[in-house]
Amino acid sequence: MAQSHYNFKRIQIVSGSTALIDVVLSKTQRKTPTEIHRHYAITRIRDFYTRKVKFAQQSFHDKLTRIVEDFPHFDSLHPFYADLFNVLYDRDHYKLALGQLAHARSLVDGIARDYVRMLKYGDSLYRCKQLKKAALGRMCTLIKRHNSSLAYLEQVRQHMARLPSIDPTARTLLIAGFPNVGKSSFLNVVSRADVEVQPYAFTTKSLFIGHTDHAYLRWQVIDTPGILDHALDERNTIEMQSITALAHLRAAVLFFVDPSEACGYSLAQQHALFRNVAPLFAAKPLIVVANKTDLGWEQELTPEAEALLADFTSPVATVPAPGEDTLPEEPPAQRAADALLKTSARDATGIAVVKRTACELLLTQRVEAKVKSRKAQAVLNRLHLAQPVGGDELNPSRPPTIPPSVVAKRAAAAAAAAAELPDDDAPYVRRLAAGPGARVDTRGDKDEDEAMDGSTRRRLERDLEADNGGAGVYSMDYRKLYELKRPAWAYDVIPEIINGKNVADFVDADIEAKLAALEAEEDARTAVGEVEYASEAVLDGYRALTDEERATVAAIRDKKLLARASSARERARGRQSVTRSAEARKGLDVEDFRSHLQSLGMADDDAEELTEKVRGRSRGRSKGPRGHAAPDGAAVAVGSKRNRSMSVVAATGADAGGRGNSRSVSVGPRSSKRIRVGSTSGIRDVSHAKEAEKAARAKTQVRVRREARKGEGDRAIYNENPKHMVVGKRGVGKTTRR
Amino acid sequence: MPQGDYIDLARKRHGYRLDHHERVRKAEARSVRRASEYAKKVTGIKAKIHHKRRYAEKAAMKKTLALAAEKSVRRADASAAPDGAVPAYLLDREATARSKVLSNTIKQKRKEKGGKWDVPLPRVKPVADDEVFKVIKTGKRKAKQWKRMVTKATFVGEGYTRKPPKYERFIRPTGMRFTKAHVTHPELKTTFCCDLLGVKKNPQSTMYTQLGVITKGTIVEVNVSDLGLVTNTGKVAWGKLAQVTNNPENDGCINAVLIV
Repeated sequence: MAQSHYNFKRIQIVSGSTALIDVVLSKTQRKTPTEIHRHYAITRIRDFYTRKVKFAQQSFHDKLTRIVEDFPHFDSLHPFYADLFNVLYDRDHYKLALGQLAHARSLVDGIARDYVRMLKYGDSLYRCKQLKKAALGRMCTLIKRHNSSLAYLEQVRQHMARLPSIDPTARTLLIAGFPNVGKSSFLNVVSRADVEVQPYAFTTKSLFIGHTDHAYLRWQVIDTPGILDHALDERNTIEMQSITALAHLRAAVLFFVDPSEACGYSLAQQHALFRNVAPLFAAKPLIVVANKTDLGWEQELTPEAEALLADFTSPVATVPAPGEDTLPEEPPAQRAADALLKTSARDATGIAVVKRTACELLLTQRVEAKVKSRKAQAVLNRLHLAQPVGGDELNPSRPPTIPPSVVAKRAAAAAAAAAELPDDDAPYVRRLAAGPGARVDTRGDKDEDEAMDGSTRRRLERDLEADNGGAGVYSMDYRKLYELKRPAWAYDVIPEIINGKNVADFVDADIEAKLAALEAEEDARTAVGEVEYASEAVLDGYRALTDEERATVAAIRDKKLLARASSARERARGRQSVTRSAEARKGLDVEDFRSHLQSLGMADDDAEELTEKVRGRSRGRSKGPRGHAAPDGAAVAVGSKRNRSMSVVAATGADAGGRGNSRSVSVGPRSSKRIRVGSTSGIRDVSHAKEAEKAARAKTQVRVRREARKGEGDRAIYNENPKHMVVGKRGVGKTTRR
Repeated sequence: MPQGDYIDLARKRHGYRLDHHERVRKAEARSVRRASEYAKKVTGIKAKIHHKRRYAEKAAMKKTLALAAEKSVRRADASAAPDGAVPAYLLDREATARSKVLSNTIKQKRKEKGGKWDVPLPRVKPVADDEVFKVIKTGKRKAKQWKRMVTKATFVGEGYTRKPPKYERFIRPTGMRFTKAHVTHPELKTTFCCDLLGVKKNPQSTMYTQLGVITKGTIVEVNVSDLGLVTNTGKVAWGKLAQVTNNPENDGCINAVLIV
């Protein structure tokens, strides 16, 4: 079932004025810029404060609009709810509160408009700020004044959210009667509603709803508070809820009566009440339910009481004649109950009858009303059931009319076909004979078929299934479909295991052919291999090695072994392993490099050329005329101007030795790093210096190099200005973390 | 679905949770700690609001405690002071009292002498012309600078017709025009929102008076017919003078005190 439109749980919380003001001011502070300075351009200052005023106004506006729009309007409500709200919340108060908030909203807008206009003439930060302060202050004062309206609406909201969601247009059973006559007990029995039942009057103080099923439809059952027998204007809020429900809901009314008088009211009083509220029952199915049969009042009923009970169902004045438009003309006071039923809610006897009777009455009435309605009429007008002239009496069977010539022709064709075709195709022939216009149901008249030509028709699997116990019992025989050399083999027993081996593993149709092919291949191979291995012939894509190649392979293996052994020896000696980059820094030993190339089999000229190329790459910055013949610093003096790298080489010529030319300028010679001896360096003498150097190397560099650690040079600050530390507003206490 | 006062109903049927009262007691006991934690944590505007509220609460609590507590106050003991004979130290006190009275009267005299106007605000801070007027540059090259715009609150009479805008020297923008003033009656101590009738005197300059500029200290004429004041002769007074007590251009409204 779709959700009723009347669900008031969705109204949002209405906060009090202080909370509202706090929220809006805090929001304004959070969501608008906060930094402004006196020396800023005046337009910027004005915009800054204008924005704040407008933002606050918009926030107030939104909040008030939400409240005003959330609450339902009386004019658009169903009359039942409109009246119920009037009874519970006082229509005037409700409308006034909402109207005041709507007015406050427009006043807030007005204030903002005025102050924004004045801010346009602000000529200093001070003045703009004062205007903003005044504007926000006036808005807050305004809202503060509506505190009572807000509080009232919040209470109304809470109460509305707890109202049962009654759908005024749905199928409804309405339970009414004096207090304490068993209305709530009935609701508990007839539906799953679990409402409070107590042995005193006015236990039920508001409307309760339960749901029940009848005729596969959903019915809402409404329990009302008890009503007393007095004038309308003397009724209190609790009773008025009942009256509202009775007056506005199109429902079947179950008027509960307690003839045992255990409720504290006599049957006469209850009858009087029934007569008094009868106007409310007009145009509704009405059932009087005499409850509490479990107390045994049926036996103890006095004649007067019996008469009174009977009077519930008898009209006071004339009953309108059947066929008249009954309800509008009928005076309300003359309304009689449609039925009087006896129940006991405690023993749950007679409940089903009451429910059924009420539901049927209401359903009939609703359907009648629907049919009478203009909407249904519009549809009914368009419906037309065509009847053939003369009707069914004249020609009950109405077969198609086929000319005799056509019948004769078809019969001839069918006879010719039947002579040619086997018996199996009888239905086809029949269809042929009947012609395309007529329908021959081969499926529907199966039994007839079988009776006629059961022996000729091909028996299908489904027929077999039907004969042998039907679906689920019959299992199909697949073996009859086997296609074997001899059909008799189909039912042979195939052993699973023969000689301890699974037969299935050896089933291969052409296994003998495959075996023959394999053997032939093997023979061919052995023949070829014996003859051609020695003569380098290609065997199956592979070629045998020559002696020369075998020698090379051996040499490679030897060299690998040697390299591995030497490396192991080096490691055993505890020599420090040097990284590739360190080796590169060491420089190139020209002679070694050349002999290495030659050993690899490179021609002499090529090796020389490559060596020169590599040396040239590492020569350093100087582009001066430097013949590669010059082995050391002595030949450098030819250049017109000494550059820096040359001077270094010259100065440390003795240390650099033959390597001077190949070293890049970025790396100083080793000796320059040596620890100086002197009064300022803290080193006593040369031996002390050596010790220090050794210690330094041992402690730091060895580990650094061997474990590829980060050294001093690797230190870096990757991001000197991390964005999260320098961007954004700083609130209080946000200097170090953000 | 539960309906009506379902919580009450459930309690009526099943009672409270077994630990309900214990939980309530504990929550109550912890509330102090929770409040103190919040007070320590909170910063900024939230802290200001919180502390203000706490301060008010504490003050109220102290007051109620003080009301309930027994008081030990010293009362003047009338019987202790002997009639007739007055000791020397009491004479001394009396003399002091008299001198105080004298000094007050002197102050009063000075005040009267200084105040030229017998009005609520006898003195006003001078306002410079360039604060009141904003120079408007006109002409094709924006070289002409004879036009002025009033940036203070102004009152423009109802039937005012503008001069041809081209020759209008003083512009009084509609955004800064006011028609109402919140007038306080000093004896009734009530405030009314009255219509402005005119600017009687702006103490800054006569030109301001002519232009209808309203600054702090300006004397304005307001319509008090709603107040129901009666003149000495018994006629209903409708126009009365009032002095402006705030800076209208800063507050966006005019507050004034009726001169009675």
